[in-house]
Amino acid sequence: MKKIIIFIFLLLILSGCTTSKENVVNILNWSSYIPDEVIRDFEEKYGIKVNYSTYSSNEECLAKLSSAKEGTYDLIFPSDYMVELMIKRNLIQKLDKSRLTNLENINYNYLNYNYDYYNEYSLPFLAASVVLIYDTSKIDETITSYNDLLDDKYKGEIVLIDDQRIVIGMALMALGYDMNDTDVNHLEEAKNWLLELKDNIKAFDSDSPKTFMISKETSIGVIWNAEAALAMKQNPNLKVVYPTEGFSVSIDNFAIPKGAKNIDNAYLFIDYILDGKVMQKIIEDYPYKNVNFETQNYLSIDYLNNDASNISDIKFNTGSFVKNIDEKIELYDKVWAEIK
Amino acid sequence: MQRHKHLKNIFILIVFLFLYLPIITLIIFSFNTSSLNIVFEGFTLDWYTKLFSNSALLEALLNTIIVSVVSTGVSTIIGSLAAIGLYKFNFWGKELINKLLYIPVVIPEIVLGISLLSVYTLLKLDLGMGTLIISHIAFSIPFVIISVRTVLNSTNFQIEEAAHDLGANELKTFFYVIIPEIMPGIISGATLAFTLSLDDVIISYFTAGPGSNTLPLQIYSMIKTGITPDVNALTTLMIVVIMIVLMISSLIQIRKIKKEAM
Amino acid sequence: MNKNSKSKYIYLSPVIIYAIVLILFPIIYILFLSFQTSDNYGGIIYSLTLNNYLKIFDIVYLRVLYKSACIAIITTFICILIAYPFSIFISEKKANTQKILITLVMIPFLTNSLIRTYGWIVLLRKEGVFNSVLRSLNLIDNPISFMYNNLGVFIGLVYTLLPFMILPVYSSVSKIDKKVLEAAEDLGANSYQKFMKVILPQTLPGIFNGSLMVFIPAIGMFFIADLLGGGKIMLIGNLIKNQFLVSRNWPFGAAISIFLIVITFILVKFYKKSGGNMDDLGGF
Repeated sequence: MKKIIIFIFLLLILSGCTTSKENVVNILNWSSYIPDEVIRDFEEKYGIKVNYSTYSSNEECLAKLSSAKEGTYDLIFPSDYMVELMIKRNLIQKLDKSRLTNLENINYNYLNYNYDYYNEYSLPFLAASVVLIYDTSKIDETITSYNDLLDDKYKGEIVLIDDQRIVIGMALMALGYDMNDTDVNHLEEAKNWLLELKDNIKAFDSDSPKTFMISKETSIGVIWNAEAALAMKQNPNLKVVYPTEGFSVSIDNFAIPKGAKNIDNAYLFIDYILDGKVMQKIIEDYPYKNVNFETQNYLSIDYLNNDASNISDIKFNTGSFVKNIDEKIELYDKVWAEIK
Repeated sequence: MQRHKHLKNIFILIVFLFLYLPIITLIIFSFNTSSLNIVFEGFTLDWYTKLFSNSALLEALLNTIIVSVVSTGVSTIIGSLAAIGLYKFNFWGKELINKLLYIPVVIPEIVLGISLLSVYTLLKLDLGMGTLIISHIAFSIPFVIISVRTVLNSTNFQIEEAAHDLGANELKTFFYVIIPEIMPGIISGATLAFTLSLDDVIISYFTAGPGSNTLPLQIYSMIKTGITPDVNALTTLMIVVIMIVLMISSLIQIRKIKKEAM
Repeated sequence: MNKNSKSKYIYLSPVIIYAIVLILFPIIYILFLSFQTSDNYGGIIYSLTLNNYLKIFDIVYLRVLYKSACIAIITTFICILIAYPFSIFISEKKANTQKILITLVMIPFLTNSLIRTYGWIVLLRKEGVFNSVLRSLNLIDNPISFMYNNLGVFIGLVYTLLPFMILPVYSSVSKIDKKVLEAAEDLGANSYQKFMKVILPQTLPGIFNGSLMVFIPAIGMFFIADLLGGGKIMLIGNLIKNQFLVSRNWPFGAAISIFLIVITFILVKFYKKSGGNMDDLGGF
């Protein structure tokens, strides 16, 4: 009995030590975003342990950040509108760009957007778009728009991102409204549009919608461009479409939360990722839109020729950004609860 | 009558098939060369070697073991003491404490999970191994108390008085009389706490923080982002360990019964 | 006397601290939160409002509650339908066989529940084992949708919760005195009468116990609905999780939780009234 007690206390002390003394960086990032290999390489190179947690939507990122004690996370990757919101809510701190040796690698076309005009708080990491993708071996018609998806024939054939702003935004665009519309009547219409679509939806999944397209569980997807590109690699029958009614885009950023405890390590990690070769590894594994000049030189033909991953700057600029809508989010919540 | 019996056995068999099908499937696929888990292509042991280089999974396994061992240890001590105390003594508010102890047992886990999370946030505690262990202790203690109490209720405590009368002091009585008497309850309570902790998803989901991913949480995120067959290999190994433990414990039991018979 | 109070202190203070700090306080705090207003960013505006409770009765959320309750009730029924005959059939075996069979029921549940859920995904998905087998036997042309719908959620919930029904039901079935059954037979009872008059009344507490232990978790198991329902089936558990992790409306999430606690208490009261022992809920 006594031995057991002593053993337990030893374990307690041990577990206490391992968590407090180590040189760590606590990263909160999107799932399916940075390959494990890159993290391991970083750990080996700098002798810093990376504690990696994930989220699958900006809202989840915000929830995790604000529910945890200040200083829990050292580095996060919020999208455009979330950066704006986090600045407003005083959740992230100004960046000291002089600490980044690879700063000039960033494509300046993706700097100085409205959400953080002088990039005081955030720096772009990747850009993403939401694309429509379908399996031409299973679907004979040509799909060009969201409204095409309402066809009864596609019962249980669609996978959508599990993200209320993007899915409801899609419905709003299909109806000809802005994807950030907060008009109650328009949202009611969007809800009805989605209810009409519901029978065709097989699943909502943000973490790995590609799996549905690869395993042929579904033949249509409205998913992140990198997920689409990865699915195309495994299933060559997939065709990518930028729907006629519009599509949403986002820029994901590095940001350091207020009160972060391991700021030096966070900067090291950002700088490491901004390295052209490292970014290339990330981009080839998760083929989002690259925003790094240096990386551009190393990208494979596969990546460059893929419509889903390598969207041109011009096309990117025709997409719509999700915008912060403050307390109107409650309207979206309700629509979301209703269609699920 | 005979046909009836066959039908009954078939029913039992079907239920067991239902219970074991997913596990057998995973075990079979842990030897499959294809990583997609869709069809069986060929025999391999690769996933077992890959398992030992999957550092995220191994780290999660280690965290799980630490959390389970520590929380089981603490909750077994507190729970056993509490069961004895609640059995022996009366005090003001005992009724309330007794009622409170059932709450973690009956309310949905998610409610306990979010209420603990809210309190941690309120108290500005760092989410991590610490909060995870506290949460596991929180839901384990009542199970230990219930297990020990069941044994206490069927125990004759005159033996304790006898020990006292023979001059044994409190501590001696405790270690040499009470503890051995209620050991079966302590063991079953601890086992229960350990298994619950090992497999907890919901409460851990809310109360873990950076660097404290447990095995269930890691597997949850792996299922969502793409799972690799090394998880199947891990399942197979876990089943093997459980089988061995069960076999040893039943062997011990058989020997004990034989000894008593002699 | 003095010594006695000292040992009393050692035995009881940990549990009293525990019960107050880790049970009472969190629940009171959740109760407190449920009367506050959310600022939609995870923050709380201090107020005293019933809005969160009124919101539960909004038709949108009522529908979630209704659907969730239906799923949990059906799951409970399926579990009874499987566990009851199963336990009776097992109890007719030899004592040693019974022991082995019950241990065999437990073994799968000592492995990780998510891994087992994943096992079901491998079996049920469109290109999964079931569909492959059915197709190779030429029984079907088009794959059957076993999952990403209600069916998948039912399979997952029944599978995960079945032992919580089997164990209490089995223990109540095995307690039936064989002599009483024989006496009933001697008195000329047929098997229907025997079941209705002897077996059922004696096993009812076990069924109640099992139902409680299946129904309550079934409301909250968000991960089963997430994984086997394709993220489009919202149970109360998913709703609460979303309030805390996506919508950042903690007060509303807290109100739903309090609502669940109240429902649980009512069910437990009912259970106790029907002669159930509280300790049976926690001992296996």
